[in-house]
Amino acid sequence: MSLSALSIDENEGLRYMGCPPERADKALREQARLACSRLAQTARPRWAWRCFDVTAQAEGVRLSCGLLLPGRDLRHHLELCSRAIIFCVTLGVQTDELIRRAQSQDMLQSLALDCAADAAVEQVCDQIETQLQGKFPGCFFPYRYSPGYGDLPLALQGELLALLDAPRRVGLTASTSHILIPRKSVTAILGVADQPIPQFSRSCLGCPARENCGYRKSGGHCGIS
Amino acid sequence: MEFHELLKSKGPILLDGGMGTMLQAKGLRMGEAPELAALEHPEWLLEIHRAYVQAGSQILCANTFGANREKLARTGKTPGEIIPPSIALAKKAAAGRALVALDLGPIGQLLEPTGLLPFETAVDIFKEEVRAATEAGADLVMIETMADLQEARAALLAVKECCALPVMVTMTYEERGRTFLGCSPACAALTLEGMGADAIGVNCSLGPREMPPLVEELTRWSTLPIAIKPNAGLPDPGGGGYDITPEEFAESMAQLTDLGVKLYGGCCGTTPEYIALLARALKGKEIRQIPRHVPAAVCSATRAVPIDRVRVIGERINPTGKKAMKEALKQENIDYMLGQALEQTGAGADILDINVGLPEIDERAMMIRVVKAVQGVTDAPLQLDSTRPQVLKDALRVYCGKAIVNSVNGDEEALEAILPLVKKYGAAVVGLTLDKNGIPKSTQARLDIARRILNRALAHGIRREDVYIDCLTLTVSAEPEGAAQTLEALDCVHRELGLKTVLGVSNISFGLPARPLINQNFLTMAMTRGLDLPIINPNVDAMMAAVRSYHLLMNIDTDARDFIAAYGQAQVSTSITTSAPSSAPAPGTSRDLGELVRAGLKGEAGEAARALLEQRAPLDVVDHVLIPALDQVGADFEAGRVFLPQLIQAASAAQAAFEVIRARLSGQPGAQEGKGPIVLATVQGDIHDIGKNIVKVLLENYGYTVIDLGRDVPPQEVLRAARQHQAPLVGLSALMTTTLGSMADTIALLRREDVPCQVVVGGAVLTPDYARQIGADFYARDAKESVDVARKVIG
Repeated sequence: MSLSALSIDENEGLRYMGCPPERADKALREQARLACSRLAQTARPRWAWRCFDVTAQAEGVRLSCGLLLPGRDLRHHLELCSRAIIFCVTLGVQTDELIRRAQSQDMLQSLALDCAADAAVEQVCDQIETQLQGKFPGCFFPYRYSPGYGDLPLALQGELLALLDAPRRVGLTASTSHILIPRKSVTAILGVADQPIPQFSRSCLGCPARENCGYRKSGGHCGIS
Repeated sequence: MEFHELLKSKGPILLDGGMGTMLQAKGLRMGEAPELAALEHPEWLLEIHRAYVQAGSQILCANTFGANREKLARTGKTPGEIIPPSIALAKKAAAGRALVALDLGPIGQLLEPTGLLPFETAVDIFKEEVRAATEAGADLVMIETMADLQEARAALLAVKECCALPVMVTMTYEERGRTFLGCSPACAALTLEGMGADAIGVNCSLGPREMPPLVEELTRWSTLPIAIKPNAGLPDPGGGGYDITPEEFAESMAQLTDLGVKLYGGCCGTTPEYIALLARALKGKEIRQIPRHVPAAVCSATRAVPIDRVRVIGERINPTGKKAMKEALKQENIDYMLGQALEQTGAGADILDINVGLPEIDERAMMIRVVKAVQGVTDAPLQLDSTRPQVLKDALRVYCGKAIVNSVNGDEEALEAILPLVKKYGAAVVGLTLDKNGIPKSTQARLDIARRILNRALAHGIRREDVYIDCLTLTVSAEPEGAAQTLEALDCVHRELGLKTVLGVSNISFGLPARPLINQNFLTMAMTRGLDLPIINPNVDAMMAAVRSYHLLMNIDTDARDFIAAYGQAQVSTSITTSAPSSAPAPGTSRDLGELVRAGLKGEAGEAARALLEQRAPLDVVDHVLIPALDQVGADFEAGRVFLPQLIQAASAAQAAFEVIRARLSGQPGAQEGKGPIVLATVQGDIHDIGKNIVKVLLENYGYTVIDLGRDVPPQEVLRAARQHQAPLVGLSALMTTTLGSMADTIALLRREDVPCQVVVGGAVLTPDYARQIGADFYARDAKESVDVARKVIG
């Protein structure tokens, strides 16, 4: 399955930059547009996925391969799901390099690129989700869930990547402090239910940064949690 | 039979096939560490290895792919517990019919500068594995599935530094012919052969049909035996398997004998059946002998630069005679150096010289930092420049690719100190035609020294193509005959020794007016005499123009493509007076400086500052125009009237104005020193630094000197900088809940060591409460608040 070419909306980029799109002047809008198009040319999205049966247990959700996804929040989230798809996606080190290069030359450009990358990763996740949903006809899906949401620990990143053989297959790794590297990457858990489930949207409710979040202020979402 | 004898044998050498897929077929569960099989299911390993021997494998890979301490950590086992039994099982299965290799796979974390794992830590992790395997009696080492050339280097160094076993290195490439990290076969070949690999090649990610272009590129850039271990075709992203049958696999692989491939095996998805059919397909096949000659070339991890035309070495990252660079080195202003690097590559430099020698600083530590940082932002190969062998050694260790060492001379002591380093790290070297007695005047004497350097390099096992000679430019105002002598010597080295030549060009014109004219003409003269590697300032267009014109006139730039690309739109003036700055404002657009800063107009703000300085004193402009304008923007930001991008735009505009003012001030006695300094760092384990960088720009705008330590900074390093620069304020940033701990550790260390500084912290996941709890003096919600804190602490 291949992903279609990225096309990142500059309004989305602006929101990630902490600026409501309608408040951006022409020059800033142009800068955001340029960053989005450069990013789209540079990013090399790669992804991997696997599907497992899941069982709710006292301490969390157990995947059929044996891995425990600990915590109450995910267990609640997957309550009506009999399976879960684990997937990961990365924009590749070339994206990190592009942002790093801009950093020593032009702060605003580097912010614009960084934010365009956040927007891109979300867009790729949406694409992947759609493709994956197509593989499970007649099923129902709660929104995708990632380590760091609620009480699902970030420490799970490495385990999820190992499960997907991600370092080898897509070049995605986790550092000892559980940061995904390349930076613009996501791991996610997508529940699969055989019967209709109530739909909730993602929210910032569980995020420790919500009070001061610039993305929220401008009506956007950070893409991290 | 030993590996080296095997390599000398005429026919193909058969390796084994996949291990992970075989273990899964036997019952290994997804996500489980395959390496535990040595302890939990030794019979599985015996069966798999035996099946491969049966199929014809002459070399078995022990089941140690992920047996490094990082990957094993979650199993509670150590390499010392896993590797010896894994090797022993393979040896038992081989029963003398096959050699046994330690399989050395990636650590699973990315190395600096892409990731966080320090290079020396990686070397150490690999050494632990190699020692265990050597003791267990492994016959060779196979470094496999590398996507990061730097990690492959770390593994290769580890092998070379703790045993004498032969070593093969294979990397994994994507369909476009690069690894995930962008490494090309050319760069892998140049680097790994230079560092002493015995065979190189490709394994994993692709199928056999995708191999030919990769093999062809490897053979263009290396004389080593080539090993190929592809997957059983291309994988399904959902983990569904691979798309090639054993028959197809064997057939495609057998065709590679025509390309000269020596070692054949399989990776993921291949089984003993694949190898057995492969053995049959290869039986009786001869490997085509293709003569290979690798031209002179250097490379980074992602870009190979053959010295097949004039290649420009940018000279700007060198403090000699450069005030701003000296300042940057003292203030650890790495960004300044990165800016210089990018400016030079943007202007057309192919290679960058890196010299950070300054008496007041720790040259070794700075060299390591700068090499890593520059390699993080540009793909240009580097020329490592120092007079101290220890500095060169440190730089060569962390440099990823094939570097140039600048320099060695004909002096015995220098040759013995430098050449072994050049050999060990697979670099090229610049030989200066001087020795203890200085620079000889006569061409013959210079040629003699060049020959001496060449012979010694050859004796050390360095390739002839990797010795570049610098005949040394003498200042023509002091030595009127010097220029002609240098050109004559250069010509002789080029013709008689056939070596590549280097020349620092700019020295020629010291003490004379219109230096660019002299430099440009001397450069042209030198190129016609055979200069390959001029060390120049590529930002001076006259110099790049000389190089481009030379390429055009000598028909190296076919169809004038490069020349037209560079000058198709240019208006060239041949007059000597330099033109006025291009950013002069159009008449009638002159606006108030404060207004320009608030509007974030970078280009115009610099000009407006220049105009304003005609009427008002520099400090008056700062205090009464720039700072109030920034304050206004800051207040608007706080009130939600402007947003982060506008704040940054205003800061950049103010910076442009400050640069003009600083230039004016530096000409005056008692010039104003920056306030502070303030040490900034993103804490250890964290790599999110965009917030910290925004804070830095804003602080600099308010006149503070900022010592930016970068990201992933250990507590000790913050302590060192705070002490060394006597910083009254330290700013720490963290963006992950998982790295807040190292922020607390850093503050605790500063307190324990009684450093008289205050600490301000910031970052998305921080709260004022938490900041207090870990002992910070201040919490700053955003860049604007950081400035408020700095004002409170420093004034």
